[in-house]
Amino acid sequence: MMTLNRWRQPARTTSLLASVGLAALGAAILPAFGADEPVKGGTLIYATDREPTCLDPHVDGDMPQVFIAQQYTDSLVSQDKDGNIGPWLAKSWTVSDDGKTYTFKLRDDVKFTNGEKFNAAALKANLDHIKNPATQSSTAGGYIQQYVKTETPDEFTAVVTLSKPYAAFLEVLAQGFLGIEAPGALARPRNENCETPVGTGPFKIIKWDRQSQIVLERNPDYNSAPPTAAHQGPAYLDQVIWKFIPEPSVRFASLASGDVDVIEAVPPESEAEAEQNPDLKLIIADRPGNPTNGAINTTRAPFDDIRVREAFVRSADISSALDSVFFGRYKRAPGPLSAATPFATPDFKSLYDYDPERANALLDEAGWTEKDANGIRQKDGKPLTIHVPIGDFQGPAERSLWEQIQATAIGTGFDVQLEPLGFSEWLDRQATWNYDVIPEYWNTNTADVLRIVLSSEFLGAAGSGGYHQNASGFKNAEFDALVNKALETQDPEARRKLYYDAQKIVASNFLQVLTFPQSTRLGVYKTAKGVRLEPSLSVTTLYDAWVQK
Amino acid sequence: MSSVTVSAAGTAAGLLSRRRIGSAGRRVLSRVLAAVLVLFASATVTFFALHLTPGDPVRAVLGGPTANPSPATIAATIAEFGLDQPLHVQYGLYMSRLASGNLGMSFSQRQPVVDVIAAQVGPTLQLMASSIVVAWLLALASVMATTRRHPLLQGLGSALETISAALPQFWLALVLLAIFAFGLRWFPPQGNQGALSLVLPTLALALPLAGFLAQVTRESLELALDQPFILSARTRGLSDGAVRWRHALRHAVLPGISLSAWAVGSLIGNAVLVEVIFSRQGLGRVLYQAVTRQDMPLTIGVTLLVTLVYILASAAADLIFVLVDPRLKAQHL
Repeated sequence: MMTLNRWRQPARTTSLLASVGLAALGAAILPAFGADEPVKGGTLIYATDREPTCLDPHVDGDMPQVFIAQQYTDSLVSQDKDGNIGPWLAKSWTVSDDGKTYTFKLRDDVKFTNGEKFNAAALKANLDHIKNPATQSSTAGGYIQQYVKTETPDEFTAVVTLSKPYAAFLEVLAQGFLGIEAPGALARPRNENCETPVGTGPFKIIKWDRQSQIVLERNPDYNSAPPTAAHQGPAYLDQVIWKFIPEPSVRFASLASGDVDVIEAVPPESEAEAEQNPDLKLIIADRPGNPTNGAINTTRAPFDDIRVREAFVRSADISSALDSVFFGRYKRAPGPLSAATPFATPDFKSLYDYDPERANALLDEAGWTEKDANGIRQKDGKPLTIHVPIGDFQGPAERSLWEQIQATAIGTGFDVQLEPLGFSEWLDRQATWNYDVIPEYWNTNTADVLRIVLSSEFLGAAGSGGYHQNASGFKNAEFDALVNKALETQDPEARRKLYYDAQKIVASNFLQVLTFPQSTRLGVYKTAKGVRLEPSLSVTTLYDAWVQK
Repeated sequence: MSSVTVSAAGTAAGLLSRRRIGSAGRRVLSRVLAAVLVLFASATVTFFALHLTPGDPVRAVLGGPTANPSPATIAATIAEFGLDQPLHVQYGLYMSRLASGNLGMSFSQRQPVVDVIAAQVGPTLQLMASSIVVAWLLALASVMATTRRHPLLQGLGSALETISAALPQFWLALVLLAIFAFGLRWFPPQGNQGALSLVLPTLALALPLAGFLAQVTRESLELALDQPFILSARTRGLSDGAVRWRHALRHAVLPGISLSAWAVGSLIGNAVLVEVIFSRQGLGRVLYQAVTRQDMPLTIGVTLLVTLVYILASAAADLIFVLVDPRLKAQHL
């Protein structure tokens, strides 16, 4: 594990090296971005950093899966950039007064790329598949734990019953993680479906060469584009080559030289260079959900004392840390919900402001008055030591960010101990609550994320080895009541009010050191046009894209 | 080289009586048995080492920190992987399947282990083989051209070898990319399609290895050139080239050959970095991911293959040793 870190650390400096040769090459070609007419045909080469382990987004449910699913599946409903739910494979729907029965009217003219018909039975097969424990679904399955059954009174009407009211149901249905797949394909063994899943989407999976690329081809009969799309009918591209280029500097250099048309996860150190380069364009959007943060463990000392929690939040100069680690490209998160999440408010941002004076006063008040020779505060002879396990999978930037936080927190007397760990050790520390602060995030397109990461329902009763999503250990009856009440009403204004109060409680309890919102960062070469992000999770869609080569 | 092989084979044939064939057979058999034992031990050690590391493969496979599997999903996954059984039962089940040639199903890749390996082993073996060959060619070229030549030339060769031996593979890989892939555009920057894509990854692995091999070979070549038999060869009127290539080199390459078996093992470790940087398919990346996900069947599968390659490489090194130096036949074969 250390060996991987060894090459990851110097990536920043070496990418500059890699681009030395490019400057000359890039300059020779003139810019050619314009609002030209889309051209049909051609191949677009897309390069991303991480490879999925299964192409079916129902299984497991990691971000690389939803990116590929967005190309070959449609969802039941769509979500626009303001968070409004619109039709997609469902034409319309009604929700019962008790919030537990959803009746969907489905499109009757859509076919899967294996020839199967999309209908109510297909929807039932999908929801049943996601819910089935054998599917090993941890994202999609987690989002519809309330699902009970689907009835099909006629071919294109589906009546979905939930165990309790769940106003976030439509929102999660809009995520690519719950993309609709062909029932015949889903009926195959799980691992076979992982390899060659089938959807109704604009492209179909042709071949997956592991650790190399996925080849997708246009679905010539595509007729079910969402209202968020820029056109209707089949996609423009004949073919998409979806490559995996894990090394950031190589990925960026491949884009700058035009070897690939689009890259995902533009390295932060290359973004300024990309903006200067007339051949390149950046598409950057925050992802909805709970932003990247350090969850503060409230279940043990010293952070069982709210004053010490606030002091720690106030001791972390996040803006300066972000500027130095990400070259000013990343902005501080506005609150416990990233700005792209429906019902997010920036009103409580000031509670997270850097304020060392206030931090010092709070620590004095909390009895951490003694200081040792290094300026570390003490109480009853114990130093104010904060253990922060950081997984190697979280990347070198996260580590650097916490080194910056460590450096400012020592100013108020916190001894922040960063503990670099391998994936499994990190998971073990998380599961056993053996941390004071632990870096985390949660991408989802609904404010209901607050319930998952902060309500008492998710303290760990539900899993193996102490698994818990609520990493701060927050247990607050008022907060629990608010986030659960927000699921009982479809009225947006009522939900907004409830989530506003919930965010206020979270912020004023100092449960997370908020750093930056998760984001999708694409680099686009001049040969590619019409590339955009599907708003539900800010995921790339190549449906409207075309190439001019 | 052909004269070496022919003469070695000729002497070998002369010495092989029936009795010796029997004893050679026994030696081969004992080597095979030892290899099976080593494979068994490596599977066992890997099995228990993975279980001793903290963490939970089920959580690792179900998405880790940002996942929300239902209790039913977690229970189903534990049962599917057989992790609900006591450890000794899991071990017994795994080893009995292994004995019948079944490497099992990867937890994380959602494929049979044998399929994962089959898809990735080719590029890795190709890279290792080309790296060993290129490393030897470079090492021999440098050593033969500069050892005991003009002091300046000798110093240059020796310095180049020291520098290449000290080069970190990942750094070298990125520099090669910057110059030859992105600057001059002679070679593709990523992938493993075609012979051209093999050049830069091979150089990234071969240059440091060549440095090592050359340092060792240079030292023993210097020693060999001081031997009395070299003097006698020279007095017989042999040219300097013939002395070096036919007499001294045979002695000088022996330590390097031993080192090559070790190098095969270390190449697999370094292949992880090079495979990632050049986006090459390969087992190095697979092994890294398998270990971090505590994917027991896949980790053991790849470990067994690496062990096997190492065993074969050691056997090959011994064989080459004997061919190069027939004096060692009795002890080694």
